[in-house]
Amino acid sequence: MWETVAQAVINGLLIGGIYALVSIGVTLIFGVVKIVNFAQGEFVMIGMYISFFLANQFGIDPLLSLFVSMPVLFAAGVLIQHFLIRRVLGPNDMPQIFLTFALSLLLLNLALMLFTANYRTVHTSYSDEAFHLGGLYIPVAKLIAFVVAMALSGALWVFLHTTDLGKAMRAAAQNRDVAMLMGINPDRVFCVALGIALALAGAAGSLLMPFYSAYPFVGQVFVLMAFVAVVLGTLGNVIGALIASLMMGIAESLGVQYVGADSGLIVVFAMLLLTLAFKPTGLGGGRAR
Amino acid sequence: MMGHSLSTRSIVLLAIGFAVLIALPLVVKSSFAVDIFIRILLFSFIGTAWNLMGGYAKQLSLGHAAYFGLGAYTSTILQIDFNISPWIGMIAGGVVAMLASLPIGWLCFRLRGPYFTIATIATAQALMLIFLKFRDFAWGAEGTTIPNLGAAPLMMQFESKASYYYVVLGLLVVGLVVTWLIERSWIGYYLVAIGEDEDAAEAIGVNAPRMKRDIYMISAFLTALAGTFYTQYIYFIDPATAFSFSISIEAALVSIVGGIGTLWGPVIGTILLETTSTLLQSWLGSSIGGVQLTVYALILMAVILWRPTGLMGMIDELRRRFASHKPAQA
Repeated sequence: MWETVAQAVINGLLIGGIYALVSIGVTLIFGVVKIVNFAQGEFVMIGMYISFFLANQFGIDPLLSLFVSMPVLFAAGVLIQHFLIRRVLGPNDMPQIFLTFALSLLLLNLALMLFTANYRTVHTSYSDEAFHLGGLYIPVAKLIAFVVAMALSGALWVFLHTTDLGKAMRAAAQNRDVAMLMGINPDRVFCVALGIALALAGAAGSLLMPFYSAYPFVGQVFVLMAFVAVVLGTLGNVIGALIASLMMGIAESLGVQYVGADSGLIVVFAMLLLTLAFKPTGLGGGRAR
Repeated sequence: MMGHSLSTRSIVLLAIGFAVLIALPLVVKSSFAVDIFIRILLFSFIGTAWNLMGGYAKQLSLGHAAYFGLGAYTSTILQIDFNISPWIGMIAGGVVAMLASLPIGWLCFRLRGPYFTIATIATAQALMLIFLKFRDFAWGAEGTTIPNLGAAPLMMQFESKASYYYVVLGLLVVGLVVTWLIERSWIGYYLVAIGEDEDAAEAIGVNAPRMKRDIYMISAFLTALAGTFYTQYIYFIDPATAFSFSISIEAALVSIVGGIGTLWGPVIGTILLETTSTLLQSWLGSSIGGVQLTVYALILMAVILWRPTGLMGMIDELRRRFASHKPAQA
């Protein structure tokens, strides 16, 4: 009995690490630039296709292609902030919501045109390997993904708390006007925030590739999780998003185990609606906006 | 933009436009063409319903498929299980949608801006999942066909496409009249005030939560009527079409492209987008998936970056430039 529960918790925790990379990106952009990036899931999808093509064409291991997908998506983030998002920042919600929404629609449908709706998988030497711990089963690919995801989240926390640029980003997130008076260049900070957030999404894509299929709509699964985790973890709060993502992974996995195979999404929606009904400011408190 | 009463010129223009719309299916006999006209009128109507809340009060919902689906399912269940005419079912569906908008609004309005939008997406998706899961009362994932009764106007079934055309034209007229009445009344001004700055509107005494709730109910009611019409038109219902995310997207898209918060915006936006989509399909065939939405996304981005007021804004600008060349008139 306890073994099935423990197994479901482990499965959920491991995939929750991937959700965390996506959620941290969403919450970082929300905290610093004050917009919600509806296209965040599509950057996970792009990261997956980058890893897929590198593995397929050049036989590069998806974990190594992290060193391609992250810089490529960092650059994409800087460009998107500089040429698109910067132009719609202002008091008006409509352009901000629908610009990133249009970007999501565009990337998704371009992928559909270019790559078709087929599922693409990469088989690695460790795709089927697993550790056995007592009666528990820990897939190696998922464990690596979880460890790398936690390492990247930790590195981001260190960056935000020890470097000048990281502190500037936190300052801009807390109070943009005062940060500007202190000589912080908001454009540069925003570009870096978008770059880091997209690089994390790209990393999530590459880490997923050894055990998950790439297809044009794949990002939707992850972005939905991320939105719920970000509300649950209090908007703009990186640690909150991390913890909430792990919780969501576990809740989803328990739902699949005890309610039924296709009930994962229902659990997610139930969590979102319950959060909105009873704790719209998130578990960490703070202000909802 | 607001509060203009009807001048003689606009009454004449409206009468001519309406006469053309009435005559259109009598002149154009191609059922392919009439089908496109019906799509344009239908999405103009859905966009008009969305625009009341999304355009004037700037509550940017991407979950209007919830009400489209509730309307479609209510009238279909009443028709198949209880043999009640879809004309009655349509109104019943509207009422169900109105009632559903109360708890959904209660949840979603707790959030503002982009998180309101996300919450509306989630509620529509949750409703779709419910109708997929509970097959006992609504046929589950495979859906059902509507029994074909031949020519049965009382059951909203017609032999000619032209009749469907007139039904949806009637719906659009209702939507536009409701919008016009709201736009020029105090309600319209209150909604625009909420859309501009909700806190400021509340500070000067606008009861924003009540206004948002009420306009959401009206918007949901109208959207549900479209759901019933569409199901009767295609003789089929399943959760994937009735609660399709693309309905929610198109409702918002046609309004934004045409001109958010304007009476004619959704109509003009639909004409542009649907014409583009038809032309694309005839050029490329429907073989390549994703072409239509790729083009929609590019149009949406172009509008947001260069013309946030949409096509209506462009038309106004052209009219003003044209007018400034003429001698001033009283």
